[in-house]
Formats: sequence, structure tokens, C-alpha cells
Amino acid sequence: MALTRRQFLTLTGGATAAPIIFLACGVPAEELLVEAPLEMPEDLVSGLDNWYATLCRQCGTSEGVVVRVMEGRAKKVEGNLDYPVNMGKHSARCEGGLQDLYHPDRIKGPLLRSGERGTGQYEEVSWTDALGRLNLQLSQLQSSRNQNSMVLVTNPIGGHLGMIAETFASKFGGRYMPYEPVERTNLKAAIKQVFGQDRIPDFEIENANYVLSFGADFLNTWVSPTRYARGYGEFRQGDRERGTLVHVDSRFSMTGANADSWIHVKPGMEGILALSIAHVIIKDGLADPAAAQALTGGSNLEEFAPESVAAKTGVSAETIEQVAHDFAGHKPAIALGGGSAGAHTNGLFNLTAIYSLNYLVGSVGQPGGVVFNPAPPLSEIANAPSSSSYQDWADLVNDMRSGDVGLMMVRGADPMHGLPGTLGFRDASYDVPVIVSFSNIMDDTTAMADIVLPEHNSFEDWGTDTPDAGPGYEIVGFQQPVVRPFFEGRGEHLGTRGFADILLAAAQGLSLDLGLAGETYKDILQGSAEKLFALNRGSVRAGDFKSFWNGMLQRGGWWDVNAKASGGVPAPQRLPEAEEPRFDPAIPGRFNFHLSPFSSTGIGEGQGAHIPWLQATPDPITSATWLTWVEINIRIAEDLDLREGDVVRVTSPRGSIEALAYPHPGIPPDVVAIPMGQGHVAGGRYAEGRGANVFSILSDLTDESTGALAWSATRVGIEKLDKWIRLPKFENSVPDPPEDEEGLVIEVTSDDS
Amino acid sequence: MAESWGMVIDLDKCTGCQACVVACQSENNIPINDEGLFNQRRAIEWIRIERYWEGEFPDVKARFIPILCQHCADAPCEPVCPVFATYHNNEGLNVQVYNRCIGTRFCANGCPYHVRFFNFWEPEWPDSLKNQLNPDVTVRSRGIMEKCTFCVQRIRRTGRKAAQAGIDKSDAELERGLNPACVNACPTQTLEFGDMIDVLTAVKEGTRLPDEPKSKAGAKVKKELEEDGGRGYRLREQLGTNPSVVYLRKVDEHRKEVVTHG
Repeated sequence: MALTRRQFLTLTGGATAAPIIFLACGVPAEELLVEAPLEMPEDLVSGLDNWYATLCRQCGTSEGVVVRVMEGRAKKVEGNLDYPVNMGKHSARCEGGLQDLYHPDRIKGPLLRSGERGTGQYEEVSWTDALGRLNLQLSQLQSSRNQNSMVLVTNPIGGHLGMIAETFASKFGGRYMPYEPVERTNLKAAIKQVFGQDRIPDFEIENANYVLSFGADFLNTWVSPTRYARGYGEFRQGDRERGTLVHVDSRFSMTGANADSWIHVKPGMEGILALSIAHVIIKDGLADPAAAQALTGGSNLEEFAPESVAAKTGVSAETIEQVAHDFAGHKPAIALGGGSAGAHTNGLFNLTAIYSLNYLVGSVGQPGGVVFNPAPPLSEIANAPSSSSYQDWADLVNDMRSGDVGLMMVRGADPMHGLPGTLGFRDASYDVPVIVSFSNIMDDTTAMADIVLPEHNSFEDWGTDTPDAGPGYEIVGFQQPVVRPFFEGRGEHLGTRGFADILLAAAQGLSLDLGLAGETYKDILQGSAEKLFALNRGSVRAGDFKSFWNGMLQRGGWWDVNAKASGGVPAPQRLPEAEEPRFDPAIPGRFNFHLSPFSSTGIGEGQGAHIPWLQATPDPITSATWLTWVEINIRIAEDLDLREGDVVRVTSPRGSIEALAYPHPGIPPDVVAIPMGQGHVAGGRYAEGRGANVFSILSDLTDESTGALAWSATRVGIEKLDKWIRLPKFENSVPDPPEDEEGLVIEVTSDDS
Repeated sequence: MAESWGMVIDLDKCTGCQACVVACQSENNIPINDEGLFNQRRAIEWIRIERYWEGEFPDVKARFIPILCQHCADAPCEPVCPVFATYHNNEGLNVQVYNRCIGTRFCANGCPYHVRFFNFWEPEWPDSLKNQLNPDVTVRSRGIMEKCTFCVQRIRRTGRKAAQAGIDKSDAELERGLNPACVNACPTQTLEFGDMIDVLTAVKEGTRLPDEPKSKAGAKVKKELEEDGGRGYRLREQLGTNPSVVYLRKVDEHRKEVVTHG
């Protein structure tokens, strides 16, 4: 547009005059402030936000969260202040639920395999069509009286969802197999044997004076880390005297880093060490005499005297004496164990011996000790979530090979990735005629599926949970949808559905009576909520059911702090016969290490591998991200001429993987450690083909008493390859602080004010 | 009187779990730190956990410290900015004005804590992940500097709520909304946040600490700074930056004297 000289003058004159006129009129100063360029969009009034309470289902133990929702989109997760398990706090993994919800590679609707199995060729179909095919498969099994060849695999789920899955499988006549990559079989068996409990007890760390943990990385990944960390904060700097944490482990874990003392034990010798500690406590008269009598039958475990086991366990006699005296002398004290301590061929013995220590110092059922968890007051969901052992999976693979599995349905689990490679689950799956997946991400298992029925993200669905481990009293957490399903109404063939509702629809199609009160999942949950309402006790009470229901959803569930476990302190059982671990034979002619796989802080055992935030979460100890590294002692690395980032081949008798060397000052010289969770063959853009899968080289040794996989029993050799890849880690991302006389970063004191 | 926001970080509680780091990324629209960014040393973490080794196997320790913008009262980053993109506001916050920043990176050079991050690239998210972005926080474009804001958007939002309800924004009822995302997430309660104007002013001027500090965080700082053997210290205090973040020393029973990592 051309301007004439006159137009130009008019315009510029007007523009300069305007502010002057405004100033002359006396516009209040505050109004001009709004226009000031210093004010950023952060300062401007934006839309209203709503916070809805629900549950985070990213890890095994659900945490109560509140989700910030603006204009129908979930923005932020925070801990639910009321929820007893995490009390307002949340872990890095909870936040990942948001990226799971809005994941760019999320499966948008039902898929039907159109190419060869495993080639990733699918066509989109409608829900009617997809459900029709599922029902066709199920009814064919029914009509051929072959119901037992249906296998339903889920992650271990508590609450109603687990109950519905189990009921569906049993009413249909099929098999229900909960799957978890790091199985709790030995932990559960030890808890049952030592305490007679089906549920993992609560450890009252916040009230304890002394915590002795064996192998369990409980501040990082084990069972309920947010809850334990909450307690740990109080334990360190609460209103009471500072507690002491001693961590016994064959690897230098995050919990080991935070302990006052990290005691390095030879792999698998945790139980023998625990018996030696018991011996000192009994010998020196520090034990509860009745408990000592019941545990040992009058012997004082002489054969486990510190001097006799020092060489075997790698822990000096003085240290054992010291720990035993400190443990017995600082009550209330807790002994807990899990993780690698339970992942040996003698895992059950190890954990049984460890948990039995609690009786000697009188911590069972005491504040600041081991507090039992009662079952929730709803009979339909009273059972604790269980999981199948490695032996069950080995049996299943045999059945798959012999054609006894006609239909496999998988939800929330990725056994193709997590089962040891030596089992041959992937190959055997070619013998299963139909695989159905309910995943909303194309994970390794889903990539082999014939029918994909994507389920809602947990923020889009209803649910309940009875956390295991709970907070020491009755609790039923409630999960409500906080946003509308993301793909709803976006196209004829698009959309996700709740897993429970898919099963209910399938049951209806088969005219199978599940014996559940309600047509939909929500109806069933409301039915159970009415029973809670009728109890008229606990955290939510109301005059009518509607207010009760609303009140409960607002608070994230129902609990009763006064409803604790009944039955008192069970009588201690005799200690089991001591058992030493077995390992894979050493590979001749190679440098041999014990392999210690560990759960990753961010991506867990692979469940979070598709979430970019969790991939980019630095490992607390190495600060490494995104790839798979192998932690190797710094001196051994020198001997082997390994620098950080050197690619090494880690070989076990079952296979080999490549990983990046990380010379580590803390790890014992005879151990190498590799994080779990990477090495997916599918899983979307952030997971696929990334790093290496440590499960693929694990030994198939088991604890024969329980059938649990001894995932710490593998031995490996290390071989340097002629390749270097930079290890993506956060350390050194910022320059070293400038050197000066007082260049202090962390200050440490021996004084506790 | 306006506020001066501050934080107390108890190193004896920090486990290094990274919950604060991810909570911050989610709240503040921090671009995805992909593998390449880590390799280029350009990953952005407004709050980060540094880990220091002490000793070697078998006598080994690893210690953790969360580091974020210290919101210094005498911030070295502020006077060097030629365009006043970074300045100190009347609430004690060291503020970064994105639309003024021209990317000289002088401030990052000046910062002794290395908490300023430069956007070397335009941030990118797949379309669907943009649904999660926080509408209260600007997405920073290529060529400008960013850093921890003490979640100023939360302070503002809480301020408006408080004004509506006619109460002070430091009111205990509003604490959750006022706290930065990292503080609310922290499982061990290592991080505490609050208005510490009275305490910080007294520390800066070398006068007596107030008898009754305004906030819980302030009371904690007073206790740890005043008491004999108190654990309070500030990072690189000798540089005269007057940080608003007070650290409490890690306790290690096995140590005979104060040891430091630099």
C-alpha cells in the first residue's frame, strides 16, 4: 500500500499524540504497569484449573495423585496430600503418566494384523469388528471345550481390575497369570513364612531408630519408594534422634549411597550374614529370649559365628559384631530385604533369615517396626495381588510349544521383553494361534499380537487399588477419569476403552455370568462403594450415598486409620536350614563377574521406556540416561583398559549384549551392574532399538523352593570392542566449579544439631 | 512489605531420587532432553542433582545435592545483561524476561552456580505431547536464556487467589499452590519454600535474626544459622552473591570434622 505524505504525517502525529494525551488524562499508574514489557505471560491472568484426585498406575504400588486439568487437558501431576501411601509426595514416574496419555505413538484404535506376525503391519478396524473377533476366538475355544488353552496375562493388579480379570479367566475356564519382570515371589513367600501374612507389611521407617536393609533399593525402586522416602526424611531429620541406616548389598545402589554404612556382601550370602547377626544378638543376650528360643530351638547358631562366616560373606567379624550390637541396641529397629538378596537360588532362605531378625529385637507389630497390613473391608477384593513365578512361565512356554495355548491375552505386561531370553518365549509365541493385546503402546509383546484392543490411559479410566504394601491400615484407593478419552469421537475407527469394560463386554457376548453386581465397571465400583458407605466409619462419612461417593472421589479413596491388622504378633517360626547360592558356571578363560541387574529409577524394568521424561531422568549414581551402561569397578576398568563409553560385550552362557562401560568407584571388583528396561524391539519412537536388554542374557537358575527366577545368579565375561560411544549423562553438563580455596559445594558434618 | 522468597535444602534428607527434576520439567515446559542434547552437554534441568564421589571401594560414599537458581540478592548475572532481561524483582526473585533477552549469554558466564541454560535450538515436541504444556508458562524460543523461576506462575496464581479470599499469600492454606513444583514433589521433604524476607535481610545486613520468622522455612533457617553447631550454609557465600537458598549440611556420623566437596 502506498502512503501519501499527508497520510504519513497524520498517522505518525496521531501515534505520538496518543500516549501524551493518555498521560495528561491521568491514567492510574497500575494500568500502565500491565502494559509494561517486564510483565511476562506468567503474570497474566489465565484460565481456571481444576485438580482431580485419582491414582497413578505407573508403578506396582499406586500412589494417590491430583491431576491439574485445564480445558480438558491434563497438565500436571502432584501427590495427593490426603492419600496415606504417599502423603502429598510423588515419584518421577508418576509424572510420566502425562506423557503416556499424550504419547505421540499411542495406539489410536483397534488394530488387526494384516501382514506376517511381528512385521508390524496392521489395519484399523472398528470396535464392533475387533470385539467380534475376540468373541469369535473365545467362543471357538468354548465350543471345542478347549477353554483351558486361553491364557490371560496382566501386570499384578490389586483392586477391582485384578478381581475382574481373575474372575473372567476362571469363569471362562482359562488361566490367569499375573506377570512382573522383577518377581516378588520370594518376597511374598518369605513374608508368608515369617509373619504369616499375604500382604507386604508396612515398614514404619519414620519412627524407627535403626534400619538394616539387605539388597532392597527401597529409596529408589523397591516396592513403595515414595512412601519409604517420606519416612526416610523424618527418620533423618524429624523430631526425634537421627536414625541410622545400614545397607547390605553386593552393589552400590542409591540406597547404599544414602546409608550411613554400606556393607559389601558377596552375592547371595545375605541370609548367612543375617544368621551371623542373629548369632551375635543371641550370644550376647540382646535378643528377646522367647523369640530366640522359637527361632533357633535353643541353639545359638554357633556355626554362624562371625569368625566362621567372615570369609564366606566377605564381611569382617568386627563389622558383623558391630552391626549386630547397633541393631539390637537402637530400638525400634527394622530389618528388611528384597531386590538382589531375594534373587538368588537361595533367595527364599535369605529373605526368611533377614525378616526373622525383626523378632529378635521385638519390632514385629510395634511402632517404628514391621506393621502388618489388613485386607480391605470388601470381600470381593480382599485377596492381595499375586504374580506367577518363573517356573509357571517355563511351564507355560512348554504348553505353548506343544500347542496347548490357543489364545493369549496380554494387558499391562510385556513378557516378550522381560522374560529371560533363554526361556524362548518369543519363539514359542509363534505356536500360539491368536495373541490379543490391550496395550496402548506398540510394545514388544503387542508387536506380536494379532488383535490389538487399546485400553484407556489410567487418567481416562475408573479403578480402585488396594496398595501392596499398604500404610498399615485398611485402604481402598479410588481412581477416576480426570480427562475425556483422548481419541474419543475423532473418527469412526478411533478410540480406546477401559480394560474392565472390554472384558465385561466379552463376557456378555459369550453369555458368561461373571457374578458381578453391575453392567459396567463403574457400576461395579459403585456397588462396592455402597458397602464402604454402609460401614459408616473411616475417612469419608456422609448422610447419603451420593455425597459419600463424591467425597470419596474428591479425597482419592477411603481408608480407616483405626482399622489395623488384627491377630497380634504371630509366633516366630523356626529358622530355615542355611543354604548357599549356586551360580552359572564360570566361563573358562574369561574375566568373570557376577552380573547384578537393577531396576532403573526412570524407566523401571521397561514399563517407562516409551516415556521421554523417564528416559531422560538421570540415574542417581551415574547420571546416565537413554542408553544401557555397565558399571564396572574403576580399578578393574583400568586393568582392562576401559574408559567411559567404550563399548563392551557382556557375555553370559545364555547370550551376549553390548553396553557402554561406566568405570564406577563404588562397585565391588567382582561385580558388574547393568540397568534393566532398555533394548526394546518395538515400543514407539523413544524406546525402540535403544540400548540393550539385560533380561536377554539372564541365567534360568531358580530358587527351587518357590520357582522364582534367580535373576542375580548370572555370571558374565567382559570383552572390550573397538568402538566408543559417548555415554549420554548429565554429569559434567555444567562446567566444574572454579577452583578456589573455599570452593565448597557439599558440606558434611558429624554433628547433628 | 513485599516478600523475598527463599528455599531451605536439607542435604541430610536428599536421596538423589530425581522426583524434583521431573516435576520441574513437567511444570515448566522444559523441552525433551534427548540423547543428543545430553551428548552436546546442552540438556536443560532447572533443578538438577549433582553427585559427588568420596573415596573408593570399599570405603566409598556418594553424596547428592540439588542445585537450582539461588535467586541471589546480589546476583552476578544481573548487572552484566545489556538489555535488562534479567533483573531482581521486588519479591526477591531473579527474573528472566524472555522477550527482552537477546542471547548474549553474559549472564551464564557470570553465574557461579551454572544454573542458566541457553536455548541453542527451537524446542520441539510431537504435536500430541503439546497437550500437556502448561499454559501458565512461556515456551522459550531459540536464542534465549532460561532458568529456574521459583515457579513464579504459581506465586502469581496464589497471589490472585489470596487477593480474592482477602488473605495473605503466605497463608498456610495456600502453601501447596505457592510451593514450586520441586518442593511439592520431593518425597523426603528435603526442599522447603517460603517467604524469608526477614531472615534473608538480617543475614545480608549482619543484624540479629528476627525472633519470629514469617515462614516455616525462615524459622528453620534461623534455627540452623543461630544454633551452635547449626547446619546452615550457603553455596559459594564467599563470592558475596547473597543467595536466597540455604543448604543444611549433610550429617555423617563417621566424619570427625567438616569435609567439603568442590
